[in-house]
Amino acid sequence: MSRVATMSRPDSRLTDTVTFRKRITRIVTIAMVVLLSVFVMIYVLLPIYWMVKSSFQTNFEIRASPPLWFPSSISFQTYADATTVIPIVRYMLNSLFVAGTTAILATMISAMAAYVLARFRFPFARLILVIILFTQLIPHITRVFPIYFFIQDLGLLNTYVGLIFAYTGFSIPYAVLMLQSYFRSSCPPELEEAGMIDGCGYFGAFRRIVLPVSMPGIAAIGTFTFLGAWNDFLWASLLLNRGEMKTLQVGLRDFMGEGGTIANANVFMAACVLATIPAVILFIFLQRHMVSGISAGAIKG
Amino acid sequence: MKKFNPRGFSRRDFLRTAGIGLGGLAVARLPMPVIAQGALDFWTQPYGDTVEWAAFINELAEQFANETGIDVATEVINWDNAANTWLLVSSGGAAPDTADMFWLYTHSAIGGDQFGPLPLTEYQDEYFPDLEERFIAGALSDVFWRGDFYGIPWRGDIRPQIYRTDVFEEFGLEAGPDNWDEIAEYAREMTIRDSSGNVERWGLSFGTATPLQSLLPLYWSAGGEFMTEDGLTATIDNEAMRETLNWMRDRVWVDQVVDPNFMETGYDPEAEFQNGRLAMIMSVSDSYGADLERDYPELNGLWAMAIPPMGPARRASYSGAGYWGVLRGTDQIEESLKWIQFLARDDNMLAFAERTGRVSANRAVMNSEFWQDAEWKRVIVETLDYAHTSQHAAPAWSILVAQARGSVLYDLYYDAVVLQEDIDEVVTRAQQQAQEIMDQAAV
Amino acid sequence: MLESRKNIFCYLMVAPALILVILLGILPMIQSLRMAFVEYNLLTLRTKGTPFVGLDNFEYLFSDSVFIQTLVQTIMFVVIVVGFVIVLGVLAAQVLNRQFVGRTFLRTTFLLPWFIPPVIAAGIWRWLLNTNLSPINSVLSDIGLINGNIGFLTDTTSIGYFSLPMLVVSLVRTWNGLPFVTVMVLAGLQSIPSDIYEAADIDGASSWQKFTRLTLPLLRPVLVVIATLLSISGIGYFEVNYVMTGGGPRDLTNILGVYAYDQAFSFYRFDYAAAASSVILILTSFIAFFYIRYLLKED
Repeated sequence: MSRVATMSRPDSRLTDTVTFRKRITRIVTIAMVVLLSVFVMIYVLLPIYWMVKSSFQTNFEIRASPPLWFPSSISFQTYADATTVIPIVRYMLNSLFVAGTTAILATMISAMAAYVLARFRFPFARLILVIILFTQLIPHITRVFPIYFFIQDLGLLNTYVGLIFAYTGFSIPYAVLMLQSYFRSSCPPELEEAGMIDGCGYFGAFRRIVLPVSMPGIAAIGTFTFLGAWNDFLWASLLLNRGEMKTLQVGLRDFMGEGGTIANANVFMAACVLATIPAVILFIFLQRHMVSGISAGAIKG
Repeated sequence: MKKFNPRGFSRRDFLRTAGIGLGGLAVARLPMPVIAQGALDFWTQPYGDTVEWAAFINELAEQFANETGIDVATEVINWDNAANTWLLVSSGGAAPDTADMFWLYTHSAIGGDQFGPLPLTEYQDEYFPDLEERFIAGALSDVFWRGDFYGIPWRGDIRPQIYRTDVFEEFGLEAGPDNWDEIAEYAREMTIRDSSGNVERWGLSFGTATPLQSLLPLYWSAGGEFMTEDGLTATIDNEAMRETLNWMRDRVWVDQVVDPNFMETGYDPEAEFQNGRLAMIMSVSDSYGADLERDYPELNGLWAMAIPPMGPARRASYSGAGYWGVLRGTDQIEESLKWIQFLARDDNMLAFAERTGRVSANRAVMNSEFWQDAEWKRVIVETLDYAHTSQHAAPAWSILVAQARGSVLYDLYYDAVVLQEDIDEVVTRAQQQAQEIMDQAAV
Repeated sequence: MLESRKNIFCYLMVAPALILVILLGILPMIQSLRMAFVEYNLLTLRTKGTPFVGLDNFEYLFSDSVFIQTLVQTIMFVVIVVGFVIVLGVLAAQVLNRQFVGRTFLRTTFLLPWFIPPVIAAGIWRWLLNTNLSPINSVLSDIGLINGNIGFLTDTTSIGYFSLPMLVVSLVRTWNGLPFVTVMVLAGLQSIPSDIYEAADIDGASSWQKFTRLTLPLLRPVLVVIATLLSISGIGYFEVNYVMTGGGPRDLTNILGVYAYDQAFSFYRFDYAAAASSVILILTSFIAFFYIRYLLKED
């Protein structure tokens, strides 16, 4: 044993230092990655933690100085209160319906447009893309008045249809741009060419080959559209601001008093926590979809 | 070549589509708000506790329906959304028949004779013959515009001082400050810094709500007025304004008893007051008392209110009023007036005050037991004597006092007190700009 | 014959999107741009109407020093946010794309900010960063890192127009936009065939080389479109800044979106707001121009 060790000493010392160095670099790298991740996680989660924590505190504890990082007791009273203060479940269903319909409609319409814009050459294709891009060039806020009165003229104020119509229109440009770049980069044309030879027409190839293959991208865009509508306050507050039909974001603002003061800050925080739950659940479901689209194995060079 | 393939629409697709459709139907079939045909549309902002508020309004509507057979559909417009909603209403957007409103002059000007608040002068004698006897004069002045009567002032917004009694006791003081000199003196004593200069407790804050609103009562206390009574001439460039701005600037930079960030968006004097990092606030909304009692029972006995301090010329409290009015375009004027008449009954107005903790424009309510059963309430009643309306008779007023960089008074306040620019220059500039804007809007 | 059938197919596919975009995008946009060349003051609308004033509104804007400052800061804001969000988003997607236990959990956690309404999130951040009440300040001073409170949103020390509040507000906007970018990059990563990496492994490429030589070029189309969209929407953005600072202190976090919003809804000057929006339009057109050129080159 000792002889072997003695014999191989010079050699092994060399490799030892090399592996040692390598190991050190690796440990340092891992440590840095972990440190960075922890830092990023704190950055990402701090406000969310603060929201959850505050929902369990009394108003006095929330305002304490120095700040209290943990609630003194866990009670779900604030959550019970939140459901009685506003009809939060009804608001959630409203939002789910509006945002869900918007997501499906907008993603469908956009996928159709994006596909032909990405794949075919036809007269005015560029112009159409430019028009679609162009609508994103000025901020929403200056369009408030024209769009409000447009929807009013259509007789769609304070209807689900009006709001869904507006949201769908707003989400299309983003969705088209994203999807057409997606179709360009990650969906090989050979696939549908093969499909066309197999006897499906243009539309058949699109629906049966392109769409399934592009599921990860479409799911991502769908999520994005959904959350855009789900999180919107401005338009919902103008276009659908009636009693029980309110969306969650408008309903949540019922807690705000004059000048933005919040009565019952803890109950408000509880309502905010509740308000995020449906979107989180939906996302967990969708994100599986985004991963599974690939494992169908459609794309292999 | 192109052939629709019926088999392409698989059972899974079918189930999916059906699922989405059914889900949609389920939501669409949820009970819609029942808006009875011809019901009176009534919009209101929420006050006090939101739940109680909605329940209370609906209760009143039911009672009214039982009495008169007129259905009222109530709608709560939340504050986050209120300003934009009324802007749209005054520009021809969807409007109710009758509503709880504010900023009469601005919305009247925007709406012209087409949209916005409807003058009710011809109905005044029939429905509200005894206005002067029943309502506080200061509040009434806010519902008249160019000689016309627009509705019933119901809620006041009156702003006394508030202070931490525990801090005052430390210094052997039993009452709040009575004048500007006392405020300055107490604030110096009560401001505490640690060894490295960090402030552990501020002595003073000029006011809650939007920072700009704290300038108003101080200027009035110094004897100033922002414009002439006819609303045509700006009166900013005077000694009272200079004295006010100088006094405030000294509190911030010479005595250093006011947080120099007091005009920034994140400044939260209420939070600092609640956790004991702030000793006194020169003007707080009257409903703050009710808020503290409800949300911060831990603080009971640790705070007290006081009437506005004596300034160089007088005492003055910020005061505003919301009113119940009728909207142009309604075909139910009489019904709307009956509803407002019903709301304005003494017992109903008392109920409003009890629910919201806000002062009422109704004299009987303010004389009731409710406004006498706590020390802070008695202070608020007394403060009413010093009420100075925050509504100036010019449509441009809400622009002049907008809480945003670029508004004349905001810039005046910010440049003079926070940036410490030359006060003469700042005041002259503001006078000129204010006059320009008022002239424009007066055309 | 085949060609025309193809064209009809193409137009049918594009039509619904195009119609909606024209109705809800182009027409309102033209209407609001028209306001930039007339006097459109809500207070005098009923009495004076909307007389044509030529370029007066633009003259007003460019004589306003706050507007100039706002313009510069808007570009700064967009550059900072887009830079941060893409770097962090790509890094996060790299990690979240690996196979490991609890990946779904970590992904969902990381993407949580997306599910919090931006205005409410900004309100909570404002609270966390309030100079006097900040829990972050309290922790930092407890562990002895700082002596006085940091004025995250109030410090007015500035280099040029760059200041701490601007950085902080940009970071909050980054926080807000990060999930979107991460998901897009993740979707992009999903579509890169794994055999490319296998080939690179055989060639003995290091992870860093694989990242820079393979992943990044393959992600380029996604990244370009993300950067374009974020820059365009960033220039007209206003929510986070409006809620957290209202543009202060001393206008150091003011951006065009906030400026336009205040003109319209605080001062009722829809003409100035529309003119400011036209300036936004010019800025965003530049970006759009480069994007379209990029698209054309790709073809």
